[in-house]
Amino acid sequence: MFEGLRARLQKIQGTLEENIAKTASPADTAPQDPAVSGTGPEERDPSLLSRVRVLITDREFFISEKDVEEPLFELEMILLENDVALPVTEEIIQRVRADLTGRRRKIGESVEGIVVSALRGAILGVLGQGFDLLTYVRDHEKPVKILFTGVNGTGKTTTVAKVASYLKKNGCTVVIGAGDTFRAGALEQIDVHAGRLGIKVIQHQAGADPSAVLFDTVQYAEAHRIDAVLADTAGRFHNRANLMNQLEKIRRVMKPDLIVYVDEAVAGNDAVVRAHEFEKTVGADAVVLTKADMDQKGGAAISIAHTIGKPVMFLGVGQGYDDIIPFAPTRVVDELLGVSA
Amino acid sequence: MLDRLGTSLKDALKKLAGKTVVDRAAVEELVKDLQRALIQADVNVKLVMQLSQAIKTRSLEEQPPKGMTVREHVLRIVYQELVNLVGSAGEVKLEPQVILMAGLQGSGKTTTTAKLARYFQRKGMRVGVICADTFRPGAFEQLHTLCSRIHVSCFGDPKEKDALRIVREGLPAMSGNEVVIIDTQGRHALEAELIQEIIDIQKIASAKHRWLVIDAALGQQAADQARRFHEAITIDGVIITKMDGTAKGGGALSAVAETKAGIVFIGSGETSDDLERFEPDGFISRLLGMGDLKALVERAEETMAGQEVDVNAMLRGKFSLRDMYQQLEAVNRMGPLKQIMSMLPLGNMEIPQDAYDVTSTKMQRYRIIMDSMTSTELDDPSVMGSSRIHRIAIGAGASPEEVRELLRYYKMMKKALKGVRGGQGKFNMQRMMKKFGGM
Repeated sequence: MFEGLRARLQKIQGTLEENIAKTASPADTAPQDPAVSGTGPEERDPSLLSRVRVLITDREFFISEKDVEEPLFELEMILLENDVALPVTEEIIQRVRADLTGRRRKIGESVEGIVVSALRGAILGVLGQGFDLLTYVRDHEKPVKILFTGVNGTGKTTTVAKVASYLKKNGCTVVIGAGDTFRAGALEQIDVHAGRLGIKVIQHQAGADPSAVLFDTVQYAEAHRIDAVLADTAGRFHNRANLMNQLEKIRRVMKPDLIVYVDEAVAGNDAVVRAHEFEKTVGADAVVLTKADMDQKGGAAISIAHTIGKPVMFLGVGQGYDDIIPFAPTRVVDELLGVSA
Repeated sequence: MLDRLGTSLKDALKKLAGKTVVDRAAVEELVKDLQRALIQADVNVKLVMQLSQAIKTRSLEEQPPKGMTVREHVLRIVYQELVNLVGSAGEVKLEPQVILMAGLQGSGKTTTTAKLARYFQRKGMRVGVICADTFRPGAFEQLHTLCSRIHVSCFGDPKEKDALRIVREGLPAMSGNEVVIIDTQGRHALEAELIQEIIDIQKIASAKHRWLVIDAALGQQAADQARRFHEAITIDGVIITKMDGTAKGGGALSAVAETKAGIVFIGSGETSDDLERFEPDGFISRLLGMGDLKALVERAEETMAGQEVDVNAMLRGKFSLRDMYQQLEAVNRMGPLKQIMSMLPLGNMEIPQDAYDVTSTKMQRYRIIMDSMTSTELDDPSVMGSSRIHRIAIGAGASPEEVRELLRYYKMMKKALKGVRGGQGKFNMQRMMKKFGGM
């Protein structure tokens, strides 16, 4: 993933640099001017005066808003095309603009450095921090109860299986609660996953109250001193009051330590709407973005992480149990901008 | 459903309606707002640019026909270009056919397969389903459960790992049916092996239709994904799923543009009946905040005898408790109230959110309470006094407070429906423009 966005971002970096470097060249010739032009032009245009003064005294010059306007518009289009939601795009642009314009640049300073640090700062700012599940599980009182939520078809059950496998590989004991009692075939699905991974599943029959199932799962974990409880739930739309109430009840009954919101990286602008609704009704402590392998762009990752304001914990990148990678924002951004970390 | 896109578009058009003369600046402002609205709805950025360019040149260059104001002229162009963007509905014939379902993981192929089976079954066809998803655990159980609920035969083997073999064996086994639907595993454009698999399935099945299932929330990715599927098996129909969420389905339009195939169905709910035929006119109308009466009528005819909900009486503002009772009765079969309301031509009217928040259990309670009312009370709720309320409460085993709550709900609905006049029947351009003009 992210390859498409990376290529385009690196290109825009080039354009920005070019434009800024361009403003540098006429300014370079400026030092000889003041003596010739005298006071005339300086009175008409005070900004020129200050600009020249800065140039002479500090050997620096300003980057004006005009210099970056066009490449910034281009950057905006690129971000939009890469599924970064509109408000998030606007914020990134805002940050880059604020960071670049009116800034003094020392003549010797590299243009690239300025541009990269502005972009990096802006994207890192919206991406937020990562989340290290292993440390959390190790440091937290056992059992750690993790509840997975999200809309239909984003890959909650698959993610539960992947996280279970990840934790097991790293030496934690795990039990899964089959909280999706609604969708046909959901119980069979989680059963097969757990069977393959050799992990215990607590389940009732189809149509049972998910709160009861998950409560039993927690009881089981306490009795058997298991490290982590992974609670799967049925997919639900955020505009269904009844289903959201059910989720609220699940939260009351099982008292999860971590609520993980699962969404797909290919979702468009709606990702923001629903992430916000889930955050509002049941809360979310961390995010898992699935199907990241479908998308070379990865813009939705940026949007969702920013909207929830919660750290992205994992990226799902395939159909195997090992296709899950812990998300590290700095690494992603460095990769995007082509900075060797 | 799609109401957000509708609102932003309406805002954009409203701005234009406020102008006295349509000049370049006004058109440009409108186009800019349109762009934002469509991009927010996940419509492909390039498509949006093309659309806005076309609207701009046509509005400024074409002479408005006689009798049409400049403003109406621009609105007409916007509408025509939007119709172009949405495309026409894909054809669905009631004849013996094999349908191959394709799509990304988690887009809703299996659920939609069951919905389609139900659709053809309701139209009186014999339907059979083949489960060629050999990868996802529980896929066969899911499809099998859904099919047995609607009494449709389902072929598959959860132990078999070879999807091609299942299709090869399944087709003769299902040959007694007129319509055979093949559900497949989710796959995406970058998985070369799986793309090859679906090409091979198509070789064996030589399905008459290859339908691509697209999640309404899918973003800019839709174009690339659709292109790859189209290259592999030539998609000839698109189904948009999960339209009951807040996603606007703009991604599906990219798929339409990529494949040149029409949208055939829209899925909007979790039960097997939540599938509608796609109507481009209605889609646009809803987009612009005009209700789509046609879809409602079509659905009403199928699910019930035809006269249960008197739409016209409701539109005339005559809405008695009896109408509400019929409406509640129909709700179970027709889907949630909001879905029905969104199909009525309510124009730009806003219905208070509270009106929708009545849960289905409450609906049930309301019906029981209304069963205890006399005909007079149902026809003319204004006669209701505290002694009548008391009697009804006892008769229905409810508290008087509940009866009052029901009456409050009725008043709210009546108020909402009142004032909805005009806009009857089919989409009427002239009237719509008047409406915009009046804003």
